[in-house]
Amino acid sequence: MGGYVARRVLQAAGLLLIVSMIGFAILHLAPGGPLSQFAAGGDMTQEDLDRLARQLGLDRPLPVQYLDWLWRMLRGDWGASFRDQQPVLAVIGSHVGATLELMLSSTLLAMIIGAWVGILGAVRRHSLFDALATVGAMVALSIPTFWFGLVVIYVFSVGLGWLPAGNRTTIGNESFLDQLHHLIGPCIVLALVSTAVWSRYMRSSMLDVIHQDYIRTARSKGIPERRILIHHAVRNALLPMITITGLHLPTLLSGALVTETVFTWPGMGRLFLDSISYRDYPVVMGILMFTAVLVLLGSLLADLLYHVADPRLGAHGA
Amino acid sequence: MSGASEAPIGLAAAPAAAPRPRRRDGALRRFLRHRLAAFGAGVITLMVLACAIGPYLLPFTDTEIDIMQRFAPPFSGPHLLGTDPLGRDILARLLMAGRISLSVGFSAMAISMVIGITVGLVAGYYRGWVGMVLMRFVDAMLCFPSIFLLLAISALIGPAVGSIIMLIAVTSWMEVARIVEAQIRALKARDFAVAAEALGASDARVMLRELLPNAIAPIVVAATLNVAHAILAESYVSFLGYGIQPPTPSWGNMLDNAQSYLTSAPWLAIIPGAAITLAVTSFNFIGDGLRDALDPRMGGR
Amino acid sequence: MSDPSHPARHPSTTTIPRRGLLLGSAAAALAPAGAALAQPRPPAAPRGQCVLGFSQEFTVAHPLMPANEVDQAVWWNLFSPLWGLDPAGRFYPILAKAVPSLENGGISADGLDWRIELREGVRWHDGQPFTAEDVKFSLALIMNPNFRARGKDGYDRIESVTVEGPQVLRWRLRQPYAPLMSILSQFFIVPAHRLAGAEDPNNTPFHAAPIGTGPFKWAERRTGSHVMLTANRDYFGEGPYLERLVFRYVPDVNVMYTQFRTGELDYIGLLGIPANHYAEARTLRDRVIHVIPRGSVENLTLNLGHPVLREKVVRQALYLSLDTRAITGALYYGLPKEAVTFLPPENWAYNDALPRHEYDPARAARMLDEAGWKPGRDGIRVKDGLRLEFTNSTTTGTELRTQAQQLLAQSWAKIGIAMKIHNLPAAVLWGKFWAESQFDSLMTNTTYTIASDPNVLHRFGSHAIPKRAGYGSNVSQFENARVDELLARGVVLNGIEERRAIYREVQAIIREELPMLPIFQGMQIEGTKAGLMGFENNLHVLANSWNAARWYWA
Repeated sequence: MGGYVARRVLQAAGLLLIVSMIGFAILHLAPGGPLSQFAAGGDMTQEDLDRLARQLGLDRPLPVQYLDWLWRMLRGDWGASFRDQQPVLAVIGSHVGATLELMLSSTLLAMIIGAWVGILGAVRRHSLFDALATVGAMVALSIPTFWFGLVVIYVFSVGLGWLPAGNRTTIGNESFLDQLHHLIGPCIVLALVSTAVWSRYMRSSMLDVIHQDYIRTARSKGIPERRILIHHAVRNALLPMITITGLHLPTLLSGALVTETVFTWPGMGRLFLDSISYRDYPVVMGILMFTAVLVLLGSLLADLLYHVADPRLGAHGA
Repeated sequence: MSGASEAPIGLAAAPAAAPRPRRRDGALRRFLRHRLAAFGAGVITLMVLACAIGPYLLPFTDTEIDIMQRFAPPFSGPHLLGTDPLGRDILARLLMAGRISLSVGFSAMAISMVIGITVGLVAGYYRGWVGMVLMRFVDAMLCFPSIFLLLAISALIGPAVGSIIMLIAVTSWMEVARIVEAQIRALKARDFAVAAEALGASDARVMLRELLPNAIAPIVVAATLNVAHAILAESYVSFLGYGIQPPTPSWGNMLDNAQSYLTSAPWLAIIPGAAITLAVTSFNFIGDGLRDALDPRMGGR
Repeated sequence: MSDPSHPARHPSTTTIPRRGLLLGSAAAALAPAGAALAQPRPPAAPRGQCVLGFSQEFTVAHPLMPANEVDQAVWWNLFSPLWGLDPAGRFYPILAKAVPSLENGGISADGLDWRIELREGVRWHDGQPFTAEDVKFSLALIMNPNFRARGKDGYDRIESVTVEGPQVLRWRLRQPYAPLMSILSQFFIVPAHRLAGAEDPNNTPFHAAPIGTGPFKWAERRTGSHVMLTANRDYFGEGPYLERLVFRYVPDVNVMYTQFRTGELDYIGLLGIPANHYAEARTLRDRVIHVIPRGSVENLTLNLGHPVLREKVVRQALYLSLDTRAITGALYYGLPKEAVTFLPPENWAYNDALPRHEYDPARAARMLDEAGWKPGRDGIRVKDGLRLEFTNSTTTGTELRTQAQQLLAQSWAKIGIAMKIHNLPAAVLWGKFWAESQFDSLMTNTTYTIASDPNVLHRFGSHAIPKRAGYGSNVSQFENARVDELLARGVVLNGIEERRAIYREVQAIIREELPMLPIFQGMQIEGTKAGLMGFENNLHVLANSWNAARWYWA
């Protein structure tokens, strides 16, 4: 097991290196640059802009800039934002909380509803409920997240006035209840897709378990069906779901970006969008690396947990 | 994947994610699946026909501006689905936008399939370091959440229709490559492939004539789901302001800025979004039905 | 101006800067007598807070570094320049005792020697006295080659700075430079005792905890949310009357408007209220909506290097057939004011005798016919094998502008002119595409002046074409010998009347040659909560929190 983990971590490090190269190349080859924002204002001349480019080292050849970035990165220096001069880690740090809050709450919501729908679908297989749940999940996976967000705002904020139309808190009122109130809309929107995914996987996982021998044995022993389901089936069916959570992470991050945009949620997605449009290279690179680490960690943990949970599978490379 | 973009593919790739024995499903489910697939196919056919013919039947064109008629609500006058902030007919725009969005969907799918199949074939057939390098590249690309990758690359290219197609294609071939690679790797060990190789067939011949046809079922399914993915991706990129630019309408850019009219003209947001959802759902239904029909082993999920 | 239907709420007639009154300058004597009497009195001690909403985030605290408008909005309250420009365009002293001029001997007759006397008893937020050394240090910092200064224009003309006493300094220019006066009105002094000797002037503790001499002190910054300032009770000028200023970042203008409506925001500025919400906003209770003119011009910047657009008659025909009324009337709800030149009417050098804009597409078509541009087979005019065709670009995501483009394309198509839309993200448009004149035409909102000085050498001087010179902002590639001559003289003269004559003539030539087609004067819709006193639009600064020291709640 230890060797397996070491190999996976080594692999992940290699992947991160490739990721950083791809990211850096895409960003820096893109037309435009971080100084364009100042040209738009009109009070800085071309001379000033050229001077700034020199001072920021943007006039050096790309490989040199990349190696410089990599070298600093390896020493733990993520650089500073071109836009506001703050250290990249501080910038990410001040946005990551909002994103995690959104992701965790929506995952929790999706787990509860998705698992329930999935279990019920598996137990009452072929029922009308099962059929509707299947169709519902497919439709949920087909709705553009941002559009669903707009509909939620239209119905619950504009129409009914129940929910705030955006932001994380009311200015001057940062109570827990107020934060919760703001969280409802984006949380529901982000949870839509996860719920669909969870219900589908939960259903098939549950079906697998129900037909296992020990369930049959339990049933033959006359243990009440309800008890069998809760004590044996659900517990074992939930196990493989751990991996889903890990593998679902990139989806969740993408969804968070879009949801944050619609609800002006001050998280990492919003930050990424702003940083891309300003060509704030250090921050964009920082976020890309941060999410890549998160994604790799998610899949690594998913794998490990799966192996731990089900030793029959043994440790094989991914 | 925002919910959006990767979810359909996520479903297609599910067997790879958590390998487990699968079971046949009941008759009702299968029946329903076929009905849904038929429904999906019907909707898509209707949509394609409407987008192809519809614009010729309307008294308005999609770019004709009539500033005096701006913000006419649906079903209220000569404009069946109302007008936009420039007084253009929304129905005409919706149909022309459908042409663009559906073409983007199909073209991006075609290109991403070509890339994905090629990479998957080569990696699966040669394995060794070629395969390793290719698949590690695939892994690296999959480390970027898809929207992040779309946005980063969209900075690289102009917002024209052609470049949006390329943008979506180059960000959505990785899952296909994984599926094909896994299939080829499995098939290569099978008797007929070994026999063909022993008979001295060229690598290309073995790959294209022997292996690929046997892997066609999951590829067709992935292709269908990929169209759904591409239509969603177009709408995301356009919504975030990096997509196809006006005056060319697309379902995605019709939604761009709809948020600022949500109180005064909600139909601007609701109509194109409904069109996207309908199209994407239909493609997903078709994909699901195809999976069931072509490869029963994959069904039941 | 503010909403014409609410004359009582006219912000520009309510308060003249009171500092001017106290100092008895000529400007203040013109103030409408008793204008301030109708208002409730400001409180004796700072009270309450004001939440200001901006759709851009605050970025940089160091006031000499590259920054955005929100940064300036904060700087005006944290730091002080030597003098400022009031809404009427007149200079008023801030850290200086008096604004130097030829008349008061602060500037020598040849315009080269400047002597500045500083106000006494001014202290930095940490209690240290403010002295002439701080000014000298700030000037030197801008010229420090390692420092990422925002701009060096004007500062680079200063040859030597001498401190003559703790409160007196003198400098000499290499050559006279009239715009320096305006440039210095946005020169915020930084504390020498905090910044001198820094290893890396671009990265010091000051960046995270700035101190200034302004009416408010730095309290906290929460990235992604807000910046908070608290009252500086030792401020040397009038005010502050508010206990706290909160600069809140709301990334979406629609959400920002909603928050203003619900009362979470006391003021919204910069992009302000989107025009499509204006009608509703006016009906809000306890909110004052200000439609305010800015110093910019919404315009089509033409690239005279383009084979079609280089022809003057084409440009004139384009302007004649440009339906500005449809744009301002329908898309902008009739709010903006017409413009025919690059300066706002509020500028002292504005030429009010220019021919007005006419919309006459029939005449435009005739002009093109006469010039040899005949409709081709597809209706687009052709001359010598050249089609009357060009692209127009603006930044993606600017909705109203994109709508205006489509309106223009349709109306021009009717008289055989093909305009294609080719929009780009801001980071691309304002990069090489702009600087190297790769566009055919741009639709933008441009502030042609730097710090409100009518000098436009960098905009219309033939040596300031960045594509060739690597300097300047003359991306239209406009070349005119007479304009060059006038602009060169305009920067060395110091008398305001002579300069006025020069810039009036420049405007007349630009109106005739049309390297840019003015559409309307820049405007924005800002809102304040009723009861917030002291708000005043000043188009000579980038943000209207410039006088927040004098804001208070009734």
